[in-house]
Amino acid sequence: MPTLYRLHRAALYAAVFGIAAVSTASAEEIIIGAATAQTGGLAPYDQPALAGLRMALDELNAKGGLAGKYTVKLVIKDTRSDTAQTATVAQELIDAGAKIMITPCDADPSISVGQLTQPLGIPTLTLCGSAPVLTAAVGDVMFGTYPADNVQATAVADFAIAEGKKKVFLLTSPDSTYTANLPEYFGKVFEKKSGAIAGRGTYTMGQPDFSAEITNIKGLADQPDLIMTAAYEPDFPAFIQQLRGAGVTIPVYGADAIGTPTVKGLGKLVDGVVYTAAGYAEPGSKLEAFNAAFTKYAGHAPESTYEVNGYEIGLILDQAVKTAGSDDPKAIRDAIAGLKDFDGITGKITYAGTDRMPLRPVALMRYEGGEGKYIQTMIPDAADVPAP
Amino acid sequence: MAQVAMRESPGRSFMPAAFRNAGADALCMVAVLLLAALIIFLFGGAAMQRVVTYAAIMLTAVLGLQIFSGNSGIVSFGHAAFAGLGAYATGILTMPAALQRTALRDLPQFLAGYELSFFAALAMVLVLAIVIGLLTGTPLLRLTGSSASIATLAMLIIVYTLLVAGREITRGSQPFYGVPREVGLWTAVGIASVALVAARLFRETAFGLATRAAANDERGAAAVGVDQRTARLAAWVVGTVAAMAAGAMMAQFLGAFSPRDFYFDFGFTLLAMLIVGGMNSSLGAFTGVVVTIAVIEIVRRFEGGGEMFGLHLPVLFGLTQGVLAIAMILVIWRRPTGLFGERELNLLRRPGGRAIPASAQPPLHVEHDRLAADHLSRRYAGVVAVDDVTLAFDTDSITGIIGPNGAGKTTLLNMLAGDVEPSAGTVSIGGAVRAASAFRFARSGVARTFQNIRVFPAMTVLENVVVAARQVEPDLGQAEAAAMRELSRMGLEKSADQPAARLAYGQRRRLEVARALALKPRFLLLDEPAAGMNAVETAELVSILSAVRTERRIGVVLIEHDMRLVMNLCERIVVIDHGRVIADGTPAEVQNNPAVIAAYLGSRTARAKTASETTANETA
Repeated sequence: MPTLYRLHRAALYAAVFGIAAVSTASAEEIIIGAATAQTGGLAPYDQPALAGLRMALDELNAKGGLAGKYTVKLVIKDTRSDTAQTATVAQELIDAGAKIMITPCDADPSISVGQLTQPLGIPTLTLCGSAPVLTAAVGDVMFGTYPADNVQATAVADFAIAEGKKKVFLLTSPDSTYTANLPEYFGKVFEKKSGAIAGRGTYTMGQPDFSAEITNIKGLADQPDLIMTAAYEPDFPAFIQQLRGAGVTIPVYGADAIGTPTVKGLGKLVDGVVYTAAGYAEPGSKLEAFNAAFTKYAGHAPESTYEVNGYEIGLILDQAVKTAGSDDPKAIRDAIAGLKDFDGITGKITYAGTDRMPLRPVALMRYEGGEGKYIQTMIPDAADVPAP
Repeated sequence: MAQVAMRESPGRSFMPAAFRNAGADALCMVAVLLLAALIIFLFGGAAMQRVVTYAAIMLTAVLGLQIFSGNSGIVSFGHAAFAGLGAYATGILTMPAALQRTALRDLPQFLAGYELSFFAALAMVLVLAIVIGLLTGTPLLRLTGSSASIATLAMLIIVYTLLVAGREITRGSQPFYGVPREVGLWTAVGIASVALVAARLFRETAFGLATRAAANDERGAAAVGVDQRTARLAAWVVGTVAAMAAGAMMAQFLGAFSPRDFYFDFGFTLLAMLIVGGMNSSLGAFTGVVVTIAVIEIVRRFEGGGEMFGLHLPVLFGLTQGVLAIAMILVIWRRPTGLFGERELNLLRRPGGRAIPASAQPPLHVEHDRLAADHLSRRYAGVVAVDDVTLAFDTDSITGIIGPNGAGKTTLLNMLAGDVEPSAGTVSIGGAVRAASAFRFARSGVARTFQNIRVFPAMTVLENVVVAARQVEPDLGQAEAAAMRELSRMGLEKSADQPAARLAYGQRRRLEVARALALKPRFLLLDEPAAGMNAVETAELVSILSAVRTERRIGVVLIEHDMRLVMNLCERIVVIDHGRVIADGTPAEVQNNPAVIAAYLGSRTARAKTASETTANETA
């Protein structure tokens, strides 16, 4: 992993200077401030997304910049994965003249930045923050880009209902927003669509022993036909191992955080587990082409869908500046908020009519025989997505 | 005598010297802080102002940590938790009611809809801090040393868990948002200034002195009447108040936060800043924060790369952490106690620059008192150290306790001083029987010294004595004067401002006696006061002790192996062997007691000696 990142960063740095060189020559320049984690716990999420964004901006700059007119100068400052530091560097980026702000993959620092950009009307986009509450907490300048937790949950719930599932057991952990809320969103949609919640259980992140929860599930008078959880490593592997070990064969569904090599490596144990992704590279799809282009650009294949998500941010900004016809932050913000059925790499992206967490395709996947098999891509109906 | 006493009356000074000195230090640090803030306010941009605001908030939190850890010597991880509690309390109290209804739908009614201004909320948070400090401190500070540190770590985890679990109130692990952002540069700098003054002055208060003394030497502190649990609790509560004030500001500074913002990372950041600066002084806390933030701010400007003085700098994210880590290693390696761990500024404490008038009235005990042991026994797992001893000592007398090694002398003395609980029997002072508690005995008039000296090495000579004097004098000013009196009595007044660790061995012995005398005791118990001293020093000590005894009419009880000292000084001698009193009388009586000779020289020699004497008598 570290070697990977070093290569990764080397590519980033090369790109930084590339842009800097171009920008000096340009008359019309737009500064995009990126207050992102270069170091610390958030860096593994921010870095891939930022690499995708870099690639998009490089390509756009080669064609004259955003809307072919405004050369982008991307100024990156390290937040050290610290909320207070994020707000400070965001202020510096504002002082430096940033007209668009990019924030980390996490809600707290993104909200802190949003509080600074909101009064100034600077559109602010989080790289891969997926907490649906993020945008409402700040105001109309804040945009999510990644499929929000409630959007993912709705997609999985729609799929489960379509499959004919009736009763679900929700396994949550209060230790993070993601693990606490995603299954609950699922529950809301599931109930609305005439499903029932058969029971609930909680776990502590990092707990090695799930026997209490498993006994609880086995003891339910009304046996569920589905277990929904947002648990990820190391909890998800531990849970499913012990669950199957205890002879429980109820299917387990999750979300994007279990789309990892480790979970895939569990082989037969995770057969039938359904999860989500921000996109799936079908042969001949745009995503497949992107993956190839990114590999050429960065020297390694994308590690996740964060890269393509970052790339799409660049495309969204380009489209927004085109629509706005100027580099005025407020006009750009309005243009993003009005975006409808925008053709991204993974599918159509819509902000219009949402709470600025986009409606966008969610790819549903299922593990079969140690491989992630693609089921379908769907964009949930805005009316179905539960309120954060 | 009367003339000297006159000087004592009100005209002296409006403030004790220690407070004057501390006040000057604090004002100097506050001036630096205000100056920095003013320069940034006038010439810095919004981002620089945020940096200084953040620094001031961190300074307040680090000072909170310093007030407790710096004085008590117990490293605390728990102050991050207090900052978290302060932040959440402020968030709930100041959040606009309309937003609260959507962001905190299930908030209990009694917490909802206050919409207080920041300062009103801060006032409530501070009251809450005192309550929380007392509630957590009372059980926690029953522990000492590293187990207390571990307990603070546990407390951090408990508070974090509660914050995550209290979803109705805190939104659980989700971001808590919608806190108005009213804390700017001047609010933060103002509150940090108050914290600076508080931290600097706290060291000199009765609680501060007592906590530091107990950190230096627990038994020594108890022997001069320090109730260390109460003193440490006070430090804990004051530290809690500062940490929660910092949390309150942090809430309004960030606007959005979640429990993990006040968890291990934050706790370790506070500790790291304090360790860099030096844990034992408020100056250390101040420098630690300033240096750390300055390093971060300077280095991170180079991270992004670019041209600097014609040099091409590469992009090096992570440089800040690297430089910070190296700086910390350097500090810990070169200055293990931190940049300013050893000392405060002490602006007014220059050599010869101070004159604390010594109060010249030696306390005179007119009424007669008696320290009595009644059927006292002490057993250690089958070994009987003291066996059914009944003895009484009067004021205005001087008694020596002698006996072979392992006879039980020190155990007896420890019981007389309340330091060791008797297995059976009681000790009474002037009729009143007390539970065995060293600091209560000390406060009710039994002062002592130790066989292996127990002065407080990191405190100044004067402070050593002030700790004791503060237990019996009504205020710090009078305690200082009384302490100077005792130091002069022992010929140590010239070394008053030196750390006690720098004194020579004999001087340290005298310091311990001075410290004991500052308690205005009715009884002074000395455990081998002349051990390790040369003949000249011993002679000096003998003259001082007999002078003290006549001047103050106190009862002196001493254990000593130096027979010449005992025989010259004592009017009465008690001999102990195998935990029992085998002789009690004047020096002459005891010297000729056959049992004593047997104990010291062996029974056969004793028999021979007695026999020869009998023969001699018969012949005569």
